[in-house]
Amino acid sequence: MSLSTKHKSRGMHAAHHVGPNMTPMVDVVMVILIFFMLGSSFVSPDWYLTNNTPAIKGGLSNVKTNAMPPTRINIKLRMRGTRTIAILPGLQTADLSGELASFLTNKHKALVKGVPVQIFISPSNGVPYKDVITTYSDCIQARFKQVAFRPPPAQ
Amino acid sequence: MKIRGIKPMQDTHVNVTPLIDIIMCLIIFFLLVGHIAKAASVKGIKIPSAKNGKDMRNKSDLLIINLVPPTGGYGDNAAPTILIWGNQIPDSQLASYLRKQKSGNPKIKVVLRADRSIPYKFVAPVLISCAQARIASIHFMTRRPG
Repeated sequence: MSLSTKHKSRGMHAAHHVGPNMTPMVDVVMVILIFFMLGSSFVSPDWYLTNNTPAIKGGLSNVKTNAMPPTRINIKLRMRGTRTIAILPGLQTADLSGELASFLTNKHKALVKGVPVQIFISPSNGVPYKDVITTYSDCIQARFKQVAFRPPPAQ
Repeated sequence: MKIRGIKPMQDTHVNVTPLIDIIMCLIIFFLLVGHIAKAASVKGIKIPSAKNGKDMRNKSDLLIINLVPPTGGYGDNAAPTILIWGNQIPDSQLASYLRKQKSGNPKIKVVLRADRSIPYKFVAPVLISCAQARIASIHFMTRRPG
């Protein structure tokens, strides 16, 4: 007796998967996607120091912004050799991020509450931009809201 | 003798082919985001650090002004280059350029992205140009210290 291997199947045919297996491709594409997601997240990790430049009567801008308060503090930044010195009433220092910051904080605390103060930062021509930013950051830390920049003095 | 055949296979797997299309769309999206961000920013600028910077939540209507330091230093009156969206803008035309941008979008916000070593005498004209263009909102791009 021979066993017949020929067998006609009735009903559902066996499902044959034709074509490449897509599952590993999903893994590869997922890795590429994660790469680009991480890449785009590294593009802009920066912070921002905001500023609303006030209008000065007779100045270059006619934009109506904050009015100029009568109480004003002028912070001069001058170069002495390779160091930047901050000069203002009551203080002269090269420690922009430490001594200047604490001085401005104490100055703000000593002010009468509700009295607006206008800060002017007046750097000279050669003062590096990073020192100007440090001074501005100190003013923000001391909670002064109105800070403006003067053009460099004529030499 | 009955020979029982193999039962027909039933395909119970999830069809992942449409998922690849969705992921490809996401990849194209992030490629475009990276390309646009790269066009706005310029290499070769080391921005200063600041302890009191804040993350800007609303980054719409931004105009980034890049101040790129000269490659050979500041000798022979070399000045930094002003780049906006990859285009070099001469100092004398910056104010008119900003006025034009402001007229097209009154809500525009200027972000100054300058190298930390640039002397203030090259930064002040940019601030003055912003004032001449009646742009009051100026932001300084910094990085986190450390």
